[in-house]
Amino acid sequence: MAEIELRKLTIEFGAFKAVDDVSLTVKNGEFVVYLGPSGCGKTTTLRCIAGLTRATSGDVLFDGQRVNDLTASQRNIAMVFQFVSLYPHMTIRENIVFPLKARGVPSAEITRKLDWVTGIFKLGDELRRYPSALPPGARQKVALARALIRDPAVLLLDEPLSAIDEQFREEMRWELGHLQRQLGVTTIYVTHDQREAMSLADRIVLMNNGNIVQVSTPNDMFFEPVDIFAGQFIGSPSMNLIELAPVVGGLRLGTSNAVLTPQNHAVPEWAVASRRPLRLGIRPHNVHLVDSDIPGFDIPVDSVFGIGREKFFTFTIADTICQGVDQRSRPDGTSGKVRFDPAGLLFFDAETGRRVTGETVL
Amino acid sequence: MTNPSHAEHQMQMKRQSSGRLMIFGFLSPSLVILLFMVLYPFLSLVYYSFYNFSALRQGAMKPVGLGNYRFLLSDHQLWERFIFTGKFVFICVALQMLIGIFVGYQLQKNFRGRDVVFTLLMMPMMLSPIVVGFLWRYMLNSEWGIVNFLLSSVGLPKIDWLGQANAALWAAAAADTWMWTPFIILLATAAFRGIPETIHEAAEVDGASPAYKFFRITLPISAPVLFIALILRLIDSFKQYDLFIALTGGGPGSSTETVSFAVAKTAFSYFYTGEASALAVILLVIIIGLSMILVRHLTHISQRF
Amino acid sequence: MNSSRTSAFDHAGRWLIFALLAIYTLYNIGPVFWLLLSSFKSRLDLFAMPPKLFFTPDLSGYESVFGVGAAANNASSVGVLDSLINSIIVSVSGTSLAVIFGTLAGYVCSRFNFVGKSDFMFFVLSTRMLPPVAVLVFYHMMFARLGLADTRFGLILVSIFANVGLATWIMKGFFDGVPREVEQIALVNGYSRMYAFTRLVLPMVKGGIAATAGFCFIFAWNEFAFSSILTTTQAKTLPVKISAASGATGLEWTQICAAGVVLIIPVLVFFYLIRKHLLMGMTFGVLGRR
Repeated sequence: MAEIELRKLTIEFGAFKAVDDVSLTVKNGEFVVYLGPSGCGKTTTLRCIAGLTRATSGDVLFDGQRVNDLTASQRNIAMVFQFVSLYPHMTIRENIVFPLKARGVPSAEITRKLDWVTGIFKLGDELRRYPSALPPGARQKVALARALIRDPAVLLLDEPLSAIDEQFREEMRWELGHLQRQLGVTTIYVTHDQREAMSLADRIVLMNNGNIVQVSTPNDMFFEPVDIFAGQFIGSPSMNLIELAPVVGGLRLGTSNAVLTPQNHAVPEWAVASRRPLRLGIRPHNVHLVDSDIPGFDIPVDSVFGIGREKFFTFTIADTICQGVDQRSRPDGTSGKVRFDPAGLLFFDAETGRRVTGETVL
Repeated sequence: MTNPSHAEHQMQMKRQSSGRLMIFGFLSPSLVILLFMVLYPFLSLVYYSFYNFSALRQGAMKPVGLGNYRFLLSDHQLWERFIFTGKFVFICVALQMLIGIFVGYQLQKNFRGRDVVFTLLMMPMMLSPIVVGFLWRYMLNSEWGIVNFLLSSVGLPKIDWLGQANAALWAAAAADTWMWTPFIILLATAAFRGIPETIHEAAEVDGASPAYKFFRITLPISAPVLFIALILRLIDSFKQYDLFIALTGGGPGSSTETVSFAVAKTAFSYFYTGEASALAVILLVIIIGLSMILVRHLTHISQRF
Repeated sequence: MNSSRTSAFDHAGRWLIFALLAIYTLYNIGPVFWLLLSSFKSRLDLFAMPPKLFFTPDLSGYESVFGVGAAANNASSVGVLDSLINSIIVSVSGTSLAVIFGTLAGYVCSRFNFVGKSDFMFFVLSTRMLPPVAVLVFYHMMFARLGLADTRFGLILVSIFANVGLATWIMKGFFDGVPREVEQIALVNGYSRMYAFTRLVLPMVKGGIAATAGFCFIFAWNEFAFSSILTTTQAKTLPVKISAASGATGLEWTQICAAGVVLIIPVLVFFYLIRKHLLMGMTFGVLGRR
């Protein structure tokens, strides 16, 4: 159990700045997810915390102690890697107890811990087999077991589920979350999959181009994104982004005839009065296609498609393709009206991309 | 698995037969040429070992059954030669493997100019064995050789490298090791570089010291490749002849005559071809026997992967 | 990566390793350098005591090797160019074919399990076990009977036979390191095995081919025993030609040194050209076979 603090951490590879002045505190026992597109610096930051990559400047602290000069083996961390990391020449059993053996833990203790870990992961039958005989999902389970057997202060995971089949992935995600809560080990998890982040994290650290964009709980990430990038990265299908043109008494959606006003959609006054051009962010689940006899906007619908019980529709405003949910009781071609849920309106500065609320920019 | 449809079954059959065709096609060139080149000489070797045959007077040969073998195996000098050969092979292979693995381990990481350094280190291997023999003979000369010169200039006594039986063994070992360690270095480096970086990182995170990592992870994983290198070097060491001809000529006296050397002497100095063949067969049996043991072990350790 | 160590013990260890490496490098390169130096010495300088580092260069060794200058009329010094050509033809052909055959066989032994595979592999290895001295006579007889004596083609055959075993085993090791998924994915997508092999797998083992070719070229180029017995005039290779010179007037040290240098140059050039490929990793199936 440890608290991790990053202070003005910068990591450069030659001229390339992979991580730029990042500061963050991860509380004891917290499950933090580093989220972001490829190349955003999340894995580099993780490896720096692990001790596998050196920081160019800034500090990494565990429980207040600076660990920059400690090697990975000296930091009492455990790590699960994205790809092959099990020792191929050892049995599962030998793999799992390796960290204990490497540190000279007495064998009675080893057996005790092995039993404990085998119980949690239900690996009893697999112990005598070799990694090459197991499917990727099971292998990552073993990697996790090997990581946890030491009761580490910190658990680091680098996209551990990305090489696993979808079906197995959900199951493992659930197990992992459950396990972490049970053990209470401080965990940092790196992924580019925002669904994983949303379902597992206590807090999400969203990164882009080496910088931290936003640090919030999943809820806050979803409902209060700090800028367009955050808004669009989180949530699936991704948030719609529509140009707004100020008209008398309201804001018009692009070049359509839909106008949002304080009266019909509770548009805040400051948004209407704003002198800066704005864009509207609204998530597909907050855009509904309703039956023609229900009040709504007459926006031409491009297509309707269904995935399971959920049906979506697409429409175009100002050359942007948007998505929404089809809620018609009598689905009938592409006819219907489009409604926007007032609760889901998010306003963004069209130039800076930052979210705007009230008088101040977020 | 559900019952494959007819089309899938067809694909599977096609895949199998294309596989079989590939096996046959790819193996044939090697098999044909090896059989062609090896069969006759090998069979002749065995055949003539049972004869009192001389390449000079091919007409006058008599079958002597196991006579050659009996003669050879009762020769006291032959046993000495076997012991000498054994010592030589053991020292050479051991030294080459140890040094080769050590240097290969140090060279696995990237550094500037590594490929140039590597090419330079391979040079001893590139020389003709005869040149190597003469070169070391030149360097180890007790009067004007550079080795003794360097020794005396730091206060150490000069050694009569090629004039004393014991020293001569080490001289030959030094020359052979010099020449062939690069072979091991090349294969060892290849083996170590084949280990994914994540495994090293996982081991480090797990708390393994560099020594622990090397013996429990790097070495075991590279074992198959290192084993092949060992087997190849072992086989070649037993055959070593060019080096001895140039370096010691079998001397002093006949103390550095390996079994291979004895075969050559018997065949080309005395022209007792039949006897030489018998000796060669004995040598072959030993080499084959050792190799079989090693190859079986190799298969065993490769099973895990 | 770049983690740091602070223990003094580790520092001492580092220096020891560096010292050992330095000693080995000296041991390795020293004699080569000495050979190079000696090749330019006159006969007198060669045996000077203490050994000279600086001297006036003397090309008599090289002259003997190439049959020019002072040694021009020496019977054993002519025809070097011919033997050089022979060597090149035999070595390059022999190496290429040995590598090709070995690569094919190695691939099949890596990917397929068939009846007699381990026997085949051992047989292939065993071809290397024949001591040349023991079988020279029989090769001579065989070649004479087949009309292969004193032909380049015969020597090429010998080259191939001597190296195919090595090539097969080493290439199998490299192929084992290529995951089977590579071909499986291609097959599933309708490509033929040959396509998968030539376009997908082969490029991945370029390093192995380089290393194998390097070894085979060394063996083929320096091959002496077979070449001397199986050739008389036409097909003599360079090593044989050069050694013939040393017989007539006893050990011609200058000539031997010069010959050594001359012989190593093509090999050095070859290795320098493939140096980037030489350092590829070999795993022998570590990443698991499915």
